[in-house]
Amino acid sequence: MKGLAPLFLGIFGTFVFSWVGLTVIPNWQIGHLNPQSDEEGTDTYPQPQSGMVERGARVYAANGCIYCHSQQVRADYAANDIERKWGERRSAPRDYIFDRPVFLGKMRMGQDLANIGARAPKEEENPPPTGAATPAASPAQGGTPAASPSPAQQTSSPPPTGSPQAPAGSPSASPGSPAPKAPAAQPPKVPLASPSPSAIANASPAASPNPAATAPWPVQTAGAPPMYSAAWQHVHLYSPRSINVDSNMPSYRFLYKKRRVVGERSADALELTGSDTPREGWEVVPSFDAKCLVAYLMSLNQSHPLKEVRSPGATPGASPVAASPAPAK
Amino acid sequence: MNATGIPLKEPSVSAAAGDAEQLERAYIDASTRVPVLMFYTSAMAWLILGTLLAGFVSFKLHSPDLFSDISFLTWGRVRPAHMNVMVYGWASMAGMGTAIWLMARLCRTVLRYPLLLVAGAVFWNLGVLLGVGGILLGDSTGYQWLEFPHYAAIILFVAYTLVISWAVLMFRYRRGEQIYITQWYLLGAFLWFPWLYAAGQLMLFVVPVQGVLQSAVGWWYANNLLFLWFGAIGLGTAYYMIPKVIGRPVYSYHLATIGFWSYALFSSWTGMQRLVDGPFPAWMITASIAATILTMIPVATVGLNHHMTMQGYFPLMRYSPTLRFTVFGAMSYTVFSVIGVLISLRSVARYVNFTQASIAYSHLGLYAFFTMVIFGSMYYIVPRLVGREWRYASLIKLHFWASVYGIGLMTLMLLAGGFLQGADMQNPSLAFSESIETALPYLRGRTLSGILLAGSHFIFAYHFGLMLLGLGRTSTVPTFLNPVEAETSGTH
Repeated sequence: MKGLAPLFLGIFGTFVFSWVGLTVIPNWQIGHLNPQSDEEGTDTYPQPQSGMVERGARVYAANGCIYCHSQQVRADYAANDIERKWGERRSAPRDYIFDRPVFLGKMRMGQDLANIGARAPKEEENPPPTGAATPAASPAQGGTPAASPSPAQQTSSPPPTGSPQAPAGSPSASPGSPAPKAPAAQPPKVPLASPSPSAIANASPAASPNPAATAPWPVQTAGAPPMYSAAWQHVHLYSPRSINVDSNMPSYRFLYKKRRVVGERSADALELTGSDTPREGWEVVPSFDAKCLVAYLMSLNQSHPLKEVRSPGATPGASPVAASPAPAK
Repeated sequence: MNATGIPLKEPSVSAAAGDAEQLERAYIDASTRVPVLMFYTSAMAWLILGTLLAGFVSFKLHSPDLFSDISFLTWGRVRPAHMNVMVYGWASMAGMGTAIWLMARLCRTVLRYPLLLVAGAVFWNLGVLLGVGGILLGDSTGYQWLEFPHYAAIILFVAYTLVISWAVLMFRYRRGEQIYITQWYLLGAFLWFPWLYAAGQLMLFVVPVQGVLQSAVGWWYANNLLFLWFGAIGLGTAYYMIPKVIGRPVYSYHLATIGFWSYALFSSWTGMQRLVDGPFPAWMITASIAATILTMIPVATVGLNHHMTMQGYFPLMRYSPTLRFTVFGAMSYTVFSVIGVLISLRSVARYVNFTQASIAYSHLGLYAFFTMVIFGSMYYIVPRLVGREWRYASLIKLHFWASVYGIGLMTLMLLAGGFLQGADMQNPSLAFSESIETALPYLRGRTLSGILLAGSHFIFAYHFGLMLLGLGRTSTVPTFLNPVEAETSGTH
């Protein structure tokens, strides 16, 4: 090849072609999305997060959670993320418009976290009004747009019958609830009316929870706070193997302080069990970073319907709660 | 393009070279001594550090309770530290070292303004050091492949500006009209990298794009770094070393031209296939999948060209360390690309997305292809800089085989583990935890392969150290892997 000019132009041209094609045009197409709201402009989603949640995202970035956890739910035709209860619908660009950095993730050595906040027991968001059993709020599976103010409500389906391995002591984190909360996902008795024949074929009659799809990975352990509650997240971060012996998640003890109890035991001290239990007179409390991280996790929630996303719950057969009582509200 | 084929003779004249040319070359080599050795030595230090970090990462993945009280040793910090040390510390610095040396030789001019390069190397080291320190202390940006905090990124950019200004000056002083194939790739790499880096930094940190587009920009950057920076340097180096060592011109200039331009055009459009089924407009992902499939054109042309050049000369791999490493690297480029196509197809990607298989892919590109080619070039270049020959043929052989078995085992483990992990994940009747348990034995196997690779790196570092200290052999004959028999005399 003679001369630098054609070489240089070619090198520059190919680069610009790719840059425009893969970043500039997409930016023009989906780079300026607004939150969606209904006619009255009240039910706006998503909303910017701030304060502890924002700092928690930085803790999430700093400690590399993204290298094992994704935050995206794939469509039902592509994968069984929805069947695994990682979300009720696929993720869409609009879900992330306030995320910075965005943690889509490329690896699942752990569960998808796109909706982990939505799995929290109800009273995490709403302080228990009466302490009674959870109202039968139907998870907003179908096209029913959230009438509920709290998005977290939508997934926390009440345990109709058997909540797995009832913890004995009422955990301190949810003082108002006499009944232990069920895992956020489906209670085991409800057979998954999923379109997948294999899931049905494999569903053992009763005792052992229908494998996989219905059983969320860590199952409720006795003595631990209700699954996916803030208190549970702390215990899980501090000692993942106290909740699931097979977990290979690192423990984040450095985010917690072990200290001597002065006077009363702190309200936010961790409910540890087994060998993790601190000695008499000592307690383990979360650092501010740990609280922010948990606040961030609790904020992860894509259960709000989006107009551009077809909710698989709308199609017959896909909704696991088709037979459940009609929406209360 | 012209078809005279004149440039092809340039790197292959050794057999017929006159004394004057030999002298000139020695003179040019000597001028590159300080900067290139500086880049190489820094790269070696990063390679050893990155290896230690890798061992820690791999081990901790199946022993998660290790050091859980120490924030900077948590898995999620050590992993990006390892990745960035290898990418920006080892691979980039070693690649730049080789590129600088090739540039001086191919421009047929002594290296001018060495201070620019020395300063570049110092700043680059400083940038990587600060960046890795920042990651370990919890300052990571959270964007994969761009984890370095902004203060480190700025220093890296300054360092790079010094290197690129030098490269432009070299081109200005070059002798001869023709620009050899290797120079196309090197010039491409030298120009693409700063544009890429600047585009990535700008769109993520200065004027950040919204939401998911950050991921798109991130993977666009990461994949282009792999292809347009490392891939271009690796291919350029192979285009020099193979003809040079066997003393024969490149088979076809036309193929090389097609290979280069199709490479620039198609490989730069890949990246989005890694986000398959994600929250993006489908056309972005489809475009990248199509581009990935089209990279088979450069793969075929480059592979064919190298193969035809090597035709009849393959037995030389028995003797020349450079040739053995380079040819292995060039072949791995084909394997890397074919696997890249395979795991980008939607039907397959559905299974292997979110699994260890994508790590296998990165390692194939960065290690089996790029690093092996760079090892080969270092076996060629270092003796010409220090004036000594490699001391032990046995250590080179050990280095080669430990690397080959190490990366081979790692790729197999991660690919097999990834496919099985993905199959379990896609099977709704299996609990999610089953997919992790399926992958774990393969991750233990990966740790084993890491031990092999660590061994190979320590051996190479020791050997390289001997060379630096002037403890190589004093001889006019290069170190061959096996004693040269009569019929191969005259080639090296």
